Amino acid sequence: MSRSIRRLMTGSQSRQGMWMLPLVLAVIICVFLAVRTEQFANPENLLNLVAQAMPLVITAIGQMFVVVVGGLDLSVGSLISFTTAILALDGPGYVLIPAVFILAALVGATNGFVVTRLNVHPIIATLAMQYIILGITRILRPVSGGTVPDVVIWAVSETFLGVPMPVYWGLFVILVAWKLLHGSRFGLHLFAIGGGIASGVQDAARNFGVADKRTVVLAYVCSSCFAALAGVFLAGRIVSGDPNVGLLFELDAITAVAIGGTQLSGGIGSLQGTVIGAAVLALLSNGMNLTNVSPFIQTAIKGSLLLLVVGLQSRKKMGL
Amino acid sequence: MAAALNNAVVQRVTRIPPAYFVFAILMIILWIARPHMLNANILGIFIRQVAPLGVLVLGQLLVMRVKSIDLSGGGVILLVNYFISSGLFPGASVAFFVALALATGTLIGLFNGVMVAKRRVSAVIVTLAVSIILVGFVQFLSSGKPPGDVPSVFNDIYNTKLGPVPTPVIFWVFLTAIMALFLSKTVFGRYVTSVGENAEAAHFAGVPVERTVILAHMIAGFIAAIAALVQTASIAVGSVRVGLDLPILAVAATILGGVVFGRGEGGVWGPFFGVLSFALLFVVMTTFGIDEPGKLIAQGLIILLAAIFYGVRTARSN
Repeated sequence: MSRSIRRLMTGSQSRQGMWMLPLVLAVIICVFLAVRTEQFANPENLLNLVAQAMPLVITAIGQMFVVVVGGLDLSVGSLISFTTAILALDGPGYVLIPAVFILAALVGATNGFVVTRLNVHPIIATLAMQYIILGITRILRPVSGGTVPDVVIWAVSETFLGVPMPVYWGLFVILVAWKLLHGSRFGLHLFAIGGGIASGVQDAARNFGVADKRTVVLAYVCSSCFAALAGVFLAGRIVSGDPNVGLLFELDAITAVAIGGTQLSGGIGSLQGTVIGAAVLALLSNGMNLTNVSPFIQTAIKGSLLLLVVGLQSRKKMGL
Repeated sequence: MAAALNNAVVQRVTRIPPAYFVFAILMIILWIARPHMLNANILGIFIRQVAPLGVLVLGQLLVMRVKSIDLSGGGVILLVNYFISSGLFPGASVAFFVALALATGTLIGLFNGVMVAKRRVSAVIVTLAVSIILVGFVQFLSSGKPPGDVPSVFNDIYNTKLGPVPTPVIFWVFLTAIMALFLSKTVFGRYVTSVGENAEAAHFAGVPVERTVILAHMIAGFIAAIAALVQTASIAVGSVRVGLDLPILAVAATILGGVVFGRGEGGVWGPFFGVLSFALLFVVMTTFGIDEPGKLIAQGLIILLAAIFYGVRTARSN
């Protein structure tokens, strides 16, 4: 009995990683906050929490596609800012919204192409992309301003059948991601490629007939498109374009993914873990806001958390 | 195409780090467009501005030679700047500040190194997280406002000249020369090369791989602290934003100078010219009226293109 509990908690020998432990952590934080502060448990704060956490949940899920194949996508933060800037370009919604996703897919495809075909380390490729997109965003919109199409605002702030829209966003994203990751051949291939890389055999999946390069490119496209979706959501929340809204978002996403038990070396991870990881991070932010922790210290705490969860993961490779 | 790539001359040319070409092209552009800019005084001022970056690059190239990376320089610079400008140590001497800065930098480097070499954590994540923690900490201590003034001694030293050349530039060249000697003449320098080529082979050949990586990170931290001192002396005030973009520029200059993860073909002078190229690039962009967003794009493109240049070549040689 205790052995199976321990196995469930630590996630050893599990393809899904340790996602029970963060779940327990999330429950503990909830209980703590509900007892310590009066505002936490009221429905308004909880709904607000869902809306606050949604961009992080969406980005983290996208990030997970890349992390599972042993990569990292550092360009998502800039891409979110870029998306809000595009949406605030003062055009009709039926043009801007598809445009955002097409551009994001292009960015992802470029990342994937540079990583797989041109043999560049994922971190360097996406870091460079981060700066390029940030530059373009600053040209489009040097300071925050403009207004986004009404559709976007409506899709974020309205309620449908008595339930606020952010909840539907969450359900939709989780359904799509579940289908892609755990319900399709594409997802299976992602885990196969990542598992091979994590155990030190770069070509393992390829030798079993998986089109590894194409799959990795698609993983980067997924990451970028989810980031764009998060950008659309954020644009609806802030009702304008902001070149700095996505700043350091990639690190929050990576932290959430790592908290959820996904191994940064690839091959192990789960959707529920990532969602729980993002929830833990959002709960921490909400809790620190409710207890009036300085925003600067919040940054430092998030950095320490990233260091801690990634430090607890073990891997063979040294360096990058 | 394939025949051209196998041509001996072409192969010879692709061995030269891109930094030299970029430097030459930028010089020609500047010479055609703004000939009056090419005098020793003006260029001296511009080169003096990048001296902190140039110093930081010396540490960056060392860690990149052992297939690691150090993005914590921004945090170190901010922390050292805070120590000096906040009035936390009233009446302390310059020697005290220098010692404090160097000790801090080395300690942070030691932490990075242990996390990377012993815990095997991704170097990008560790050093980025360390930088964020330090930045958050400093901004909390100073409540997000610039802390105060830097003792005037620092700026006085910074503004001196030796003949026509500003002292910081001489200092930078001097440090670069020391680093070049250090890497080519010492046992540690050979360890760095062998770990970069193949860590496993180095391990079986009796090279203390983990210790080499840790030491490389410690030296990088030490050098980041020197860069922080130079940067603080140059701006002469306390700041909560100074130097945050330097680590990524250092990575860019290092790759441009022909030092990519594990390979040190560019030596120490390649990255040196990488930094000079960036100095010239900013001069050229400023004279053509391109501002900050354009510089960000150029920065990203340079990192990407230089990395692709080496990525494609490695793929071909395998």
